[in-house]
Amino acid sequence: MIGAGSTKNNRADWLSVLVFIALMVIGWANIYAAVYDETATAGFAWGSQYGMQLIWICVSLLVAGVILLIDKIYIHQWTYPIYVVLFLLLLSTLVIGKEVNGAKAWLVLGPVSLQPAEFMKFGVSLALARYMSEYSFSLRNPSSLLGVGLLMALPMGVIMLQPDMGSAIVYCSFLVMFYREGLNEWVYYILCVVVGVFILSFFLTSSVLVLLLLLVCVVWQAIANRNPRESVIYLAAVLLISGALYFGMNYLLMKELTYYSALLWTIIPSLLPVAIYAFRERLYSIYAFMMLLVGAIFFSSAVDYVFNDMLAIHQQKRILDLLGIEQDTQNWGYNVNQSKIAIGSGGFSGKGFLEGTQTKYDFVPEQSTDFIFCTVGEEWGFVGTTIVLALFAVLILRLMRMGERQGEPFKRIYCYSVAGIFLFHVAINVGMTIGLLPVIGIPLPLFSYGGSSLLAFTVLFFVAVKLDSGEE
Amino acid sequence: MMEKQKRVFTLRLVVVAIFLVIIFRLFHIQIIDNSYKEAADNNALRYEVQHPPRGEIYDRNGEFLAQSVASYDLMVTPREMSRDGFDTVTLCRIAGISKERLERELKRANNYSRRRASVIVKQMPIESKLLFDEGNYKGFHTVYRTQRSYPRKIAGSLLGYIGEVDDADIERDPYYRSGDYKGFSGIESAYEEVLRGVKGTKVQVVDVHGTVKESYKQGQYDTPLVPGVALTSSIDAELQAFGEELMEGKVGSIVAIEPSTGEILMMVSSPGYDPDQLVGRERGNNYMDLLNNPRRPLYNRAVMTRYPPGSTFKLVNGLIGLQEGVLVPSQKYPCHGGYTIGRGVKCHDHYSPLALEPAVATSCNAYFCYVLRNILDNPKYGSVKNGFDKWEEYVRSFGFGRKLGSDFLSEYGGYVPDREYYDKTYRGSWNSLTVISLAIGQGELGCSPLQMANLAAIVANRGYYYIPHVIKKIEGQDSLDMKYYEKHYTMVDSKHFDPIVQGMYDAVHTEGGTGRVADVPGLEVCGKTGTAQNPHGKDHSTFLSFAPRNNPKIAISVYVENGGFGSTVAAPIAGLIIEKYLTGSIERTWLVDQIKNTRISYPNYDRSR
Repeated sequence: MIGAGSTKNNRADWLSVLVFIALMVIGWANIYAAVYDETATAGFAWGSQYGMQLIWICVSLLVAGVILLIDKIYIHQWTYPIYVVLFLLLLSTLVIGKEVNGAKAWLVLGPVSLQPAEFMKFGVSLALARYMSEYSFSLRNPSSLLGVGLLMALPMGVIMLQPDMGSAIVYCSFLVMFYREGLNEWVYYILCVVVGVFILSFFLTSSVLVLLLLLVCVVWQAIANRNPRESVIYLAAVLLISGALYFGMNYLLMKELTYYSALLWTIIPSLLPVAIYAFRERLYSIYAFMMLLVGAIFFSSAVDYVFNDMLAIHQQKRILDLLGIEQDTQNWGYNVNQSKIAIGSGGFSGKGFLEGTQTKYDFVPEQSTDFIFCTVGEEWGFVGTTIVLALFAVLILRLMRMGERQGEPFKRIYCYSVAGIFLFHVAINVGMTIGLLPVIGIPLPLFSYGGSSLLAFTVLFFVAVKLDSGEE
Repeated sequence: MMEKQKRVFTLRLVVVAIFLVIIFRLFHIQIIDNSYKEAADNNALRYEVQHPPRGEIYDRNGEFLAQSVASYDLMVTPREMSRDGFDTVTLCRIAGISKERLERELKRANNYSRRRASVIVKQMPIESKLLFDEGNYKGFHTVYRTQRSYPRKIAGSLLGYIGEVDDADIERDPYYRSGDYKGFSGIESAYEEVLRGVKGTKVQVVDVHGTVKESYKQGQYDTPLVPGVALTSSIDAELQAFGEELMEGKVGSIVAIEPSTGEILMMVSSPGYDPDQLVGRERGNNYMDLLNNPRRPLYNRAVMTRYPPGSTFKLVNGLIGLQEGVLVPSQKYPCHGGYTIGRGVKCHDHYSPLALEPAVATSCNAYFCYVLRNILDNPKYGSVKNGFDKWEEYVRSFGFGRKLGSDFLSEYGGYVPDREYYDKTYRGSWNSLTVISLAIGQGELGCSPLQMANLAAIVANRGYYYIPHVIKKIEGQDSLDMKYYEKHYTMVDSKHFDPIVQGMYDAVHTEGGTGRVADVPGLEVCGKTGTAQNPHGKDHSTFLSFAPRNNPKIAISVYVENGGFGSTVAAPIAGLIIEKYLTGSIERTWLVDQIKNTRISYPNYDRSR
């Protein structure tokens, strides 16, 4: 039905289009259920959330049709103008934006409210695809990287000024595309270590954490460089020397010294012989591991500062709640707790359409927007959630496949960007509703109530379909 | 190129892994962990308890003794209260509480829960509820309960009172929840399970604000309320009220039994109280007053007190003597001021010697001393101790020294000494003279007025009794417990009762009889006085009686503490009650006034105040 006008481009990925439409329909049914009120007078209320959402679905499908009809070449040509226009719109929110929930993120045009940040993702995806597919571009070239950084940092900066942390964090989703384009894998290792250290620092004492980091680095290095003997000797030496230092200072010299200090006093000087060893054996990757270790140790001592001074109180509480360190189901943890109750109470097959007591009677806050997944979980149960997630997984894998289908880098980069954005939104949103990730207010694509988000995801997706279509 | 493929593969793996982690987590919270389902029910379901009206209690003629009338608990849900305040003065006036109390209760409710309703005032009458409904008090509402009302204002300790259950009750019986009521004594307590009914539950779905939205699953899980079952008591309200009137100013009890059924016709414990005092707002204060009253009005003397039976017990000894063959009615014994052997027992002035019937009529002490000694020293049993064992066996067959098994849970069993008791007291060396005071119902004997009334019923029936009970019918049931329909025979044959009955008849009808004042012309009243010595001052005045002589309709025991001779207070009371019951009216109104105006002083009670 959508591709009615695209007869000559019969090679469009109709499976993913079908999945996309299916998610849209299921999403709308859930909004209907979330705002459903038995006591309301019968009849279809266009002014209600589900009525508005239906209008937005129609608009989105219309736009999708237009995208499928225009010539692909225009997309490539209009990339930068689109980016600039969207960026200006985004910028204008700082001046004429309407504040909702503490963020000046909305533009009000008559009866319609738009959230430019949602569309900016499209602009950035296009611009990055265009910029990174230039012949002169290389991810190893600092000036190229600077260009990429600028294209992302400009909108991110504006969004953080609104401030809308959730929308800003979404830009991390481009890491998926960068990985495909060959960004140094150490970036990802370091990110994993940072997150790991951050979480572990809540549960482990600093000396145990340092020991663990040392162990991870040495073992990893041993696997990479195939030198288990030397690695074991090094580990044993560090343990022995630090232990001797600790006992010697405390019990022989009667000077108080924590084991943490003793460890640091052992590890840092040990880096010199290790560096010499690496140079002699030409195992240069050891330098990278050394830097990783030092950086991680340094970061672990800075976690407290990062946590206490760089995060807002509600962000701190959400993290503490997630890690199970502080349970407060009445205040900070209320949303997530109610959300888990709603989803958990759905059981295997759910309570049935419009039968969810938790969502219907407002126990779950933000149930038509950020917590729409609760309605799926409560009314359709494990069967429903699995089907929805499977559809998303198919969509994302399909987008990646579109990107891989022979063709120019522009299409590939764009498709991976879109796949990353979808993946990130789904993972963060669903992860938040089931208590796997901290609460970050970003919508579930095609499900959460809101025209901007729906339209933006439609445009993102159908441009990918369009770029993929009609290829030889 | 290899590197690219590896990366594409890694990315796909990551996507799949992320979705698998999420699905695994969903599997856990949706299927494995059940706590979320419970939490959801806790969120959305409210179990509203529906309290059944308590069963009503009628007298034997269908008149209300205890009614259930509508009452209302005032509830508050703090978060629904108006933020701008409300008219506290009017609300306090309606609810009948002080402003301080209201504030205290509101604070308590707030601490308990902001979303759930708490009780502010219990048992408001319907007038208060109507006034409350006129005003608009946001966040407040009333809940229908019932409370007791006593139209006749009689039989307080007999009916018992209602109170809130405590933690121990809740522990013992899971039916109860905090704030429930139960019967604490008397009929209310004995028939609690019949009277209370069954609470109903309504399961309702509420929204996040606690507003009821719908009935859960169309009421599939609701349980219906079953109202408490009504009881018909065997009490005659008219008679009871009359008895309470007569006992004014005296401490003691009256128990009347219908001999042919064992039904208790009246049971007065004096002083009594107006049962309405233990209902409603003033209950707490009134309860403390009654509890601290040294004359103990809450205490049902008729079934709970231990009294010496006194001379009325001579009937029992006479009957045992006749059955054992150690006494024949024509046997005469001399009495000159008492029984002179051993420590001796004094007697009052009457002619001598006399036979059994006049001995009963004049209540001769000496006569029954001979009788008791003949029983105990009966050569048939070899020793006085064996003879005593036999005597004890007889006495117990009259319902003494054990609980009768009536429907009073707090029934006192009385005391009949046994051989071991005397062996211990007298270090094994005792004989029939040592225990001679048993002959006249003194000494170690202890019995309740209910047991005395039962003795009257036994004599009236010439040898058997039905277990006394106060409930005649339980609505919806064809019969009571079968034990109440069973005849309990004493060890004395029916024929031996005739001379005793004759003696009791003569006591009321002949010159020199001790119960003359109980005589009601035409009713053939039989009676036996008792003047029970006791360590608490003046003798207790008692009278045991039944009427008419043949086919008796009423057997009665009157006990007036410190009333002196049985003939002065107890006998006229018994006579008046018999007259009232059998004729429905009173001829001797002057006697009623005289008895009503008799006030006995009780230094031993009132001193302790």
